[in-house]
Amino acid sequence: MSQNHAKTNGTGAENTNGAVGESPSNHSEASLTGEDLVLTYPSSDGPIIDGETITAEPGAVTALVGPNGSGKSTLLKGLANQLTPEAGSVLLDGEDIQTLGTKAIARKLGLLSQESTSPNSISVEDLVYHGRYPHRGFFESVTEEDEAAVDRAIDLAGCGHLRDREVGSLSGGQKQLAWIAMVLAQDTDVLLLDEPTTFLDLHHQLEVMEIIETLRDESDITIVVVLHDIEQAARLADQMVALKSGAIQAHGTPEEVVTERLLADVFEIEAEVSATAHGPRINPIRARHDGDEHDADDDGTETDRTEEVVAE
Amino acid sequence: MASKTPSATGAWSRARTWLGHIDGSLLALCLGSLVVVFAGGLIQVSFGAFSMTILEAWQAVFDPDILFDLQVWQVLLLGGQINPDVLLNPLAWDSLIVDASLPEMNKRSLIVWNIRLPRVLVGVLVGMNLAVSGAIFQAVTRNELASPFILGVSSGAGLMILLTLVVFSGLSTLLPLIASAGGAVAFLIVYAIAWKNGTSPVRLVLAGVIVSTVFGSLQTAMFFFADDIGIVQSAIAWTTGSLTGTDWEQVRMALPWTVVAMGLSLFSSRQLNVLLLGENTARSLGMSVEKVRFALSGVAVLAASASIAVAGIVGFIGLIVPHMVRNIVGSDYRKLVVGCVFAGPALMVGADVGARLAMNPTQIPVGIVTGLVGGPYFLYLMRKQQEMGEI
Repeated sequence: MSQNHAKTNGTGAENTNGAVGESPSNHSEASLTGEDLVLTYPSSDGPIIDGETITAEPGAVTALVGPNGSGKSTLLKGLANQLTPEAGSVLLDGEDIQTLGTKAIARKLGLLSQESTSPNSISVEDLVYHGRYPHRGFFESVTEEDEAAVDRAIDLAGCGHLRDREVGSLSGGQKQLAWIAMVLAQDTDVLLLDEPTTFLDLHHQLEVMEIIETLRDESDITIVVVLHDIEQAARLADQMVALKSGAIQAHGTPEEVVTERLLADVFEIEAEVSATAHGPRINPIRARHDGDEHDADDDGTETDRTEEVVAE
Repeated sequence: MASKTPSATGAWSRARTWLGHIDGSLLALCLGSLVVVFAGGLIQVSFGAFSMTILEAWQAVFDPDILFDLQVWQVLLLGGQINPDVLLNPLAWDSLIVDASLPEMNKRSLIVWNIRLPRVLVGVLVGMNLAVSGAIFQAVTRNELASPFILGVSSGAGLMILLTLVVFSGLSTLLPLIASAGGAVAFLIVYAIAWKNGTSPVRLVLAGVIVSTVFGSLQTAMFFFADDIGIVQSAIAWTTGSLTGTDWEQVRMALPWTVVAMGLSLFSSRQLNVLLLGENTARSLGMSVEKVRFALSGVAVLAASASIAVAGIVGFIGLIVPHMVRNIVGSDYRKLVVGCVFAGPALMVGADVGARLAMNPTQIPVGIVTGLVGGPYFLYLMRKQQEMGEI
């Protein structure tokens, strides 16, 4: 049905967006929009995300931040079509994602989940080749395009020295680089990353950040990334979206979103925010508790929903 | 390294089709397995009531007059001879194969070719089917302890075997087909039970346990109603698996399905590999996980059913062989499936030597031998490997 469209690798997107294909790469700036999304897990009582609309700016990095259980990973799963929305729709290049075939989606939209497992004895190179799955037919063997994409992805993820290593023998950080290379080999216009830096040592956190920065600066890929660390998010993102209890609390540039007021409301911390060359810098002072006086003018948006933990 | 020039890696990896992945360990495994199959086969064809030396058996098997006689192969594999007159006329294909008999051959060749060789060949086919079927189910359920019978196939087949032997004894000529069909139906029941907005490996395995428990009880109950020791023995031979009395008829029955199942499995190895990355990753790579899982399970059930039809329910091969192969070649299914195609027959033919000759002249079901060999090997694996269970 939509195979045709997907094969053209996003030329349709240029029409719908009005964007001109000025980029030398084969990527076009693709849009990803979630409209009035209602997302529910079969096991949860009510919706985790209840009617939110989110737009990822084409060609930019959008960071989703929020405390544990705020629904940011759930929202990402919804955008990635891993979770079928109860209501609302996800539009990929203006097309309802539900109407696209699974492989057609995977050629345009890549997702790196929070925890990925693989057999230990698989080599990094073989893992990265799996990223070409949506581009290959059932009987098709590896094409030159596949090889080029894999080489590019391994290069970009900086794991060339790991190419022939077994995934089981890698450290957590090295594994993450290999997985990032896999999802980059998918060669999509949109890339969704779910907490790619969590549990990594500082060195590998910075490596991952640098990869995303490179993608932001040198390609037209639209990136949506869930980040635990709000400072990292502020440093990486063009746009930030702050969530709390499944509701979007703020949306804008890092400078607009990372404010002392928002940190108090969304993250329930008291902190000082100072502007630096790398974006806003946060100096946390103490955790706020229920009944603490709001230093900013209290408009009562803060809710005390206890069921937010189910979203994790 | 990243510094490799694209053209150099390109030339190298252009050969990276699923066939291009044969490496040293896989090659050694395949050759070793072939040696075991040949040695086991030669022992099988030379010993028995009419004994001959290994050399004589060798000569009879590799007698060029027979080996390269097209008519012999037509009679053995097709049960007759192709009638060239109707070959181009599809309407008359019901008379395509006409009766023909084997050409004259000496007594030794006759015994080897007509009686003993088919048993070896059936063993080869059964071993192949079970090993590959087990390998597929281990990927589908993402559990190293899965076997071809994990999704209820053996219990369904077993129940139908008992029902046929005890209650509907008039249908016993159709027993192989009924047993296979029973296995396939049980698999479908398991899938239906496990289905709730899709399945998951754990749900499938649990549903398999449920169906196996119920059908197993019914099967045991049927034993209670068997009034003849002959029927009970026949039922045991079927439910533990036996190659006793297998003939070219069984080769003809299993061969086409085996070819189909093995071909599909080899082509599906990349799907199996992606499935091993977990459901979430597979889905985000664009795989229709439910469809692929069902299709692959279907291939595995086809392979298992083909083996059940000719040898009954042979245990342990489908569990052990993928393990052994994985130990040697790793968990890449492009290599694993190929390894299973070779190692399965080796273990099966080897076990059948024991089943036929260990207590000569009494033949025991080969399933008993595979269990006796398989149990200790599993113990060895358990002791050696730190973690077992997940692939």
